[in-house]
Order: sequence, then C-alpha cells, then structure tokens
Amino acid sequence: MRFFVYSFIFIILLVATVSLLLPSKDKRKFSDDGLRAAALSRNMSSTPATYEDLLKLVDTPKNRMSKEKVDLGRDLYHEKMLSKDRDINCATCHVLSKDLYDKNIYLKALTSKTNDKTDCVVCHLSDQSGTDRFETAVGHGGAKNQFHLNTLTTLNAALAKYQTWDGNVKTVEAQVGLSIQDPTQMNLSKEEVEQRLLSEAVYIKKFELAFDKVSFENVEKAIGAYLKTLVTRSAYDRFLDGDNDAINAKAKKGLAHFLNFGCKGCHTGVTVGGQSIQKFPLRDYNSIIDITNSFNEEDKGREVTDFNFNAKMYHPFPFENKGGFMGKDGERLFRVPMLRNVTKTSPYFHNGAVAKLREAVYLMGKHQLGMNLTNQQTDEIVEFLKSLEGDVVDYKVVNKDAS
Amino acid sequence: MKNVYMKILIILMFLSGIFQLSIFNLSWEYFRMVQAIHILSSAFIAIFLLVPYVNMHTYEYMIVKRAKSTSGVILGILLLFIVASGFYLFFVGNTGGDTIGIISYYIHLFGSFILLFFLFLHARKKIDFNAKPFVAIAIVVGISYPTLSYSSEKLTNIELEDGVERYHNEDWTNSAKCKSCHEDIFNQWADSNHRHLTGTNPYYMVMENLAAADMGDEFRQWCMGCHNPSAVTTKQKRSTHRMAVNDMPNVLFESGSKSLVEELKNHGNSRLEQGVSCVTCHRITKVNSKGNSAYKLDLTNRKKYVFEDSNSGVEKWLSEKFINANPEVHKESYSKEIYKDSAYCASCHDEFLPDDSKRPIVSTFKEWEKSPYNNPKDPTKHKSCIDCHMSYMENGKHAPLKGQSTTGGKIKENIRVHYFSGSNHFLSGLKSEKHEDQTLQLLRTSADIDVDIKNGKVLVGVKNVGAGHHLPTGVSDFRELWLDITVTDRDSNIVFSSGKLKDDGNLDTDARPFMKVFGDENLKPVGLLFWRHKKMISDTRIPAGERRVESYDISDAANLKYPLKAVVKLNFRIYPQWVTNAVQRAFPQLPNPPVVLLKEIQKEF
Repeated sequence: MRFFVYSFIFIILLVATVSLLLPSKDKRKFSDDGLRAAALSRNMSSTPATYEDLLKLVDTPKNRMSKEKVDLGRDLYHEKMLSKDRDINCATCHVLSKDLYDKNIYLKALTSKTNDKTDCVVCHLSDQSGTDRFETAVGHGGAKNQFHLNTLTTLNAALAKYQTWDGNVKTVEAQVGLSIQDPTQMNLSKEEVEQRLLSEAVYIKKFELAFDKVSFENVEKAIGAYLKTLVTRSAYDRFLDGDNDAINAKAKKGLAHFLNFGCKGCHTGVTVGGQSIQKFPLRDYNSIIDITNSFNEEDKGREVTDFNFNAKMYHPFPFENKGGFMGKDGERLFRVPMLRNVTKTSPYFHNGAVAKLREAVYLMGKHQLGMNLTNQQTDEIVEFLKSLEGDVVDYKVVNKDAS
Repeated sequence: MKNVYMKILIILMFLSGIFQLSIFNLSWEYFRMVQAIHILSSAFIAIFLLVPYVNMHTYEYMIVKRAKSTSGVILGILLLFIVASGFYLFFVGNTGGDTIGIISYYIHLFGSFILLFFLFLHARKKIDFNAKPFVAIAIVVGISYPTLSYSSEKLTNIELEDGVERYHNEDWTNSAKCKSCHEDIFNQWADSNHRHLTGTNPYYMVMENLAAADMGDEFRQWCMGCHNPSAVTTKQKRSTHRMAVNDMPNVLFESGSKSLVEELKNHGNSRLEQGVSCVTCHRITKVNSKGNSAYKLDLTNRKKYVFEDSNSGVEKWLSEKFINANPEVHKESYSKEIYKDSAYCASCHDEFLPDDSKRPIVSTFKEWEKSPYNNPKDPTKHKSCIDCHMSYMENGKHAPLKGQSTTGGKIKENIRVHYFSGSNHFLSGLKSEKHEDQTLQLLRTSADIDVDIKNGKVLVGVKNVGAGHHLPTGVSDFRELWLDITVTDRDSNIVFSSGKLKDDGNLDTDARPFMKVFGDENLKPVGLLFWRHKKMISDTRIPAGERRVESYDISDAANLKYPLKAVVKLNFRIYPQWVTNAVQRAFPQLPNPPVVLLKEIQKEF
C-alpha cells in the first residue's frame, strides 16, 4: 500500500517539476514594416497594378502580348464553338463573365428567359473566381474527370511555374491546347478547331489582326494572352506595396504564422504557390490500423475518421481518396496550389474532398508541418488567406462593351 | 477491507452529495465537478467496494451469527435504499415528470442524513488513524483526476474564445444534440422555417447572393444577422451550403433534418450548423425590440455539465445522465422569462434598411404593438407572438397540446410547440405534411370574407379577424393574398371575373393583391432587389381587426340576368411565380408553390 502512496506522490512531483523546467519559447514578433520586409525577402511579391508592369512579368518572346491577341483570346475563352457539341466554353468550368465588371450578371442570369448556365453555377457567377465550385470537373457530354480532379482557377494561373494538379504542364498556352482536345473536356481536334474558326468571317479578321492566320497554335496563344491579363490584386498586395492599413491585425498575425511555421516554403512567389512540385502528405500518420483518431475526440470531424474508413490498412490522404489520383508519377507529388483567391475556390485539395477552408488549413498544418494548429492560429491564418481574395485588375486592354 | 475505509468513503460521498444542495450556493464550475465526482465515484465505490463489503459483513451477521446489531441491520437497509435511489437518479433521472424520480431524490437526500446517524451509532469504535485511509482519498482523487484535467483545459478554451470576440464552430452546439432528450420538440423544429432559413432554403440563398452582387459582399451580414447567426459570430463572410459531390444535396424534401443528425454523428460538433438553431434562441440573454438582429447571445457562459461537449458515445451518455439527475440548472440555462415576450421575437421580426433612412422592410412587431392584441392591462385580451405561433392547432382552432417537452419530463398543460407556423406552409410542407397542416390551419383563422352585389358593383369585404398584425405581414412584398371572384348569371354565363392566374402562372393584372409594393426613387417597382426600396408604391395590407371593402364594376351592369351567383375565394400564395421562376434558375428541383384557398363563399343575388 505504502508503495502506491509514494509512487503517486512521486508522479505528481515529477509532472510538476518537468512542466516547470521546460523552457518557454519566445515567439518572434514583427512590426508592420518588419513583416513586409520578411515577406518580400522570402520571395513573396505583389501583383502588378499597371499593364506595363504586367508585361515585364508575363511577356515572353514566344507569345508577345498585344491588345488584339487579348481581345481575341477573350472571345475564344467564351466561344462555344470550341467544344464538340458547341455547348460549353472555357468559362463553363472556369467561370468568368465576359465583362468582369458587370454588376448585374447574376440578376440577368436569374431573370433571363434562357438559362444556359448549370444550376449551381448561377449563384457563383458574380464570384468571378475562374473556377466552378464543383468537387470535380464536368466536360463534354457531362463526362466527369476520370480522377475526380477539381477544376483549377484560371485567375493568376499564367503567373505559376507549373500548371494542373500534377504539374506536368509548364505554360498556360500548352494547357489551353490540351483542354480543348481532352475527350473529357472540350473534345475537339486541332483540325476541327481550325475548320470551325475559318467558317466565321469575324474570327478570320480577328486572327489576321492579332496574328497572320487562323491556326490551332494561334488559338492557344490568343487564349494564353488573355489568361495572362487575368491577374488579381487584393488587400495583401496593397500591404506589400506599403499600405500598413490594408490588412487587419489578425491577418498580419496570420501572415507572421505563415512565414514562421513554414507555409511560405512552398506557397511562395507572386502567386503564393504554384511555383514547385511537392509531396503531399509529407507526414502519413499511418499505422498498421490507424486507430489514433478513433480516440482523439478533439480532432473528430477534421480527420479521416469522418469518412468511416478508419479500419482500412492504409490511406494515402488525410481525406477520402475519391478518384484514386496519386499525383505525379504516382508518388503523391502535387503542384503546390496557389492560395490567391483561395476563399473563392472551395472545395479544397485535388479531389475536392474537403469543403471548408479551416479544415484545409488544419490538415496542411498537421500533415505538411507536423503541427497541431490551435483554433486561434487557424483563425489568424484563415484571416490572412481572406486578405488574398481580390478582383481581376482592369488593365484596360480590352474593350468594355462585351458582346 | 477495513471498516475504516468504508466509513471514510461513505462520509466523502455524503459530503460531496450535500455540497450540491442549493443552500451551499456552490459556483457552477465547482458544482458540476462535485456532481460528476459524486455520481461517478459513488457508482464505482458502490459496485466494487460497498456491495462486496456489506455482503461479507452481513454474512457474518446472518449466516455465521457472530454479531448482533440492530443499528447494523437498519444501516444495511438504508444503504440499500440509498444505493438503489442513487442508481435510479443516475439511470432514469429526476426529470420532473415521474413520481419515482421525485421519491428517489428525497430518499437519497434525507436517507443520507439518517444513514450518517446510524453509521456513527453503529461504529462507536474509535477510528484508528494510520496512513492507509489516505489511499482511499488517493482513489477518489485518482478517479477524478482525468475529469479535472479535461475540464480545466476546456475551460481555458472557453475563456480565450470569449476574449477573442468570436465564437468557434464548437461553441455552437449542434441542435441534433438536443434530440436525445427533446425529441418531439426537435422534430417540430427540424422541418420548421426557423431551421431552414439558410443553406437549405433556396429562396434565401438566391436572395443573399443577389444582395451581395448588388450591394457588395459586406451587405450579406445584414441578411445573415437573423438568418445565419452562427456564421456571423464565427466571422464568416457568407452563407454556405453543403455539396453532395457536384450537386446540391436535396434537402428540400428531407424530413426530420436527417442530414443534420448525420453530420453530428460523423463530424461531432466541429461543423457549423446554419440557420436558427436551438442555442440561437435559447441562449439569447438580452433583446432590443428595435429589430435587425438586435439580440445578445451568450454561448460561452452556459452552465455545462461534465462531458456535455463530448462527442464520444460513453461520455455523451454520461452527460445526459448528469443532466437528468439534476435538470434544474440545465433548464435555467436555456429558458428565460423574456422568451415569452413579443419584444423577444421583435429582434428579428422587425427589419429596416441598414442606412440612415432606416426605412422599414418588415414591421411585424410594430404592427402587433399597435394592434388590439397588445393589451397588457387586460390579460384575457392580450396575446403575444407565441400564443398563436407556438400553439398547437387542431380542427382549425388553437388547442393547447398537453404533454411533455422532454422525454420523461413533467406533463405540461400547454406545450409551446416549435412548428413556428406562420404563413410559409410551402417550404416546411415539402418536408412534412404535419407542418403544412399546422400552418394552413393557422392561416385559415386569419381572415373572413363577405360579398354583396349592389348597383352593378361587386363588393367584397375582407376582414383581418385572426392575425395580430397586418395581413399579410413579413416579407409582404413577396406574398400574394388576393380575391378570386367569379360571377355567373342565370344561364351560367360568366359576367364578371377577377383574380385568375395567367398561363405563365403569374397573377393576372386585374387582381388586387393585398400587399406592399416597394419602389425606387422614381416609383419604379424594385422587384427582387427589395433593399433598393426608396418610396412605397402601394400598401394594401389589412391591419389587425380591420375590414377592407373591394369594389369591382361589372361592365355590362344594365343587362344582367338575375339571379346572379357569386363565388368568392380568398387565395394565398407564398411566393409570386416570377420570384419562384428566378429561384428555379439556381434550384431546378424546386416545385412551384401551390395556391392555397383560405376562405370561400358562394352567394346568390
């Protein structure tokens, strides 16, 4: 008996001393200017506010930017001829309206006699987010993406180093061509594209103005040029440009976390992501049979327990593996997603299995950084991510009167 | 096992029980811990220590017959009663509605004093003091240690959140949690319009998005203040809806809020529930009748029982037992006197534009204030909101429902039902016929009509006999209440008709709906964009208790062939066709709301 009493006292004392002896770590604190300097020194930068600055960033010798090209690209982006059944265009999945500054787009869609938009999309038209809000992309003839992949936004895409979820495509021009020909997307061959465009006098003229002739390559270039003007600016950019009041104190804390915790290691550059290919998840937390979360009531609802497949031997992702996509070379290598406008591009992750931004932040913390973010830290990071939401900059390249 | 341990344990249990009495006025944080320790350790001690000990002890008395003690026998019987009543209180609880529960409580309370008396009588032996009794204390501390650490961690979280001026998803208790004890009330609420105010209400989602497109994203908060308080307090910028892969989950026809129950099961309390949930109304601590969501919420200072927030099955079960054993505190936490006042409902059922003009949009409360139903001096004539809208309807009349609001609870004479019947029979009716029926019964008590034909004129009187506010009220710019009149002559030829539907489903222009029409500064109707309201174009609603006479000219009055037969119907449609058409763009599965007949009369002249 005495043994138990002594061991009890011993344990209590041990716990008390250990907790007292542990060093408390000082948190690094940033002033506003310090925070800006830190962010800029880590290769984060604001998007250009003027067309001239934009050109410095996106103009390439292969596809010189010109107003004519952008104008043509915009028309092609909204051209249903480019799909096999002439029923969808780029903007069907990468939702954008022709006139980005049209305030009445939603009201018009609600009250028009004909409804050519998919039902869900109607409400998200005014988001102008460059993506639908579906879990997975739907293309020609209602075909769903075979890997259940989520549609990526076209906004800022041209600024990224890699395109698509596995990062196998390097330029937007190349992806434009692939999307048009893909059987589950627009499903139209190169020859047919050219043939269809040659049957329209308007396009022949526009192609002559922008290039020399109608060709598939020029379609890619024109839409590519248009995509290069789809750059957003947000409160975060104004902060980086020197306006200390652009984002609130909480978002600043979130940015500090973003730098301190290591998020910026991958989500970097002007697009806050999209610049590299990385492994996800970095930490697996898989055991022979993962029962850890069965007892962890705190994390319930945020982790694999949600999906009732906990008894499985192994799960490659901390969410349901819908579609079975395993990234580049099947190695769970993914292009780091861009975080600009992340608030407008739910659901999250490659198969859209996570609906909520807070959950996504929590999962990233746990599986990429090995941190259990507290509620408060998550709030602050989410507040920072909200400051990345912005509108497409009006570079005054195309005519306002959309027809 | 030595006698002394048993004595110490019994005294400890006695003390922890006694401390729960209201005369000690223990602060809630201590109270809930003492309660949990008392119940858990008592159950543990009773099963593993006390019963075997008493068993051994009586064996000596009854079988071996080595000892003789009357006080011992009484003590044993008392102990049996106390243990039995304790277990009854734990497993069934003292919920108020059951006599055994009340008796158990008194046995447990007074029995313990008598027990203590006999305990001292029985053991007049000197307590020998050595180190071993501390082991007993260590056991108690050992049992309670995990609970203590759990609660202190949780408590700090709560305090932090309160200081951080926002709530988190976990603070908003999922309403499905209330279902286990308040099943009837939950089911009433689950298909009601209060539940379906946000993501599951197609009309709302379309309008909120439209408001944001027209006025900017910030403007959503105006709508969300009443429609989606949980999202506002968790600092969300917009209302959201669930997805089922690529589609909207079809919640329009789902009864009993199955998806909500399912969500609690799968995701615990981590997913935010939208709409007006149980705690939204039941944790309002202060209201201001000025409207536009002028209420004060207090989620963090609730008195929660141990394990109340837990998602684990066992702990949840235990927490329910703790509540049932002593439900007074739970009751006090979630119901307040102010909930009966009409001013309480005013915080949301009065709306005005959030600009300097403060132009009224919905003034249901103010209409009631001026009506004869607001008569606090004469309680027989005074009728508050809940007297009609939270009262059961049977055979077209208010019929107080007798029964229990808690499973096993007290029988109440007039249960405040949570159908929240108003005028929107349609959306709740898609889910449950019962709800539709309750609302329609209420609607039909609201008006009376009469008809006369005089001097070549059809005169129809409509009286607001039942509603304590204008008819219609609420978003009366989107409500259609109109007279459908057909007059036929001797040869059954129609000589006059008004208020028919056009082929496209819209109301014909000759109809005179009782409604208000908002206009902009040029007196042009604002249509869907009601927040652009600047000037009132027309207001033909009927105030409480008033009668309006509509006069129609019969075109060919001179050549009428008598007798004439007039058929007059008072029709109601919850949303005009053009509004539904717009919403169907985004929700193609939404059916057209039916035209509801409120009153019909036929008369010959």
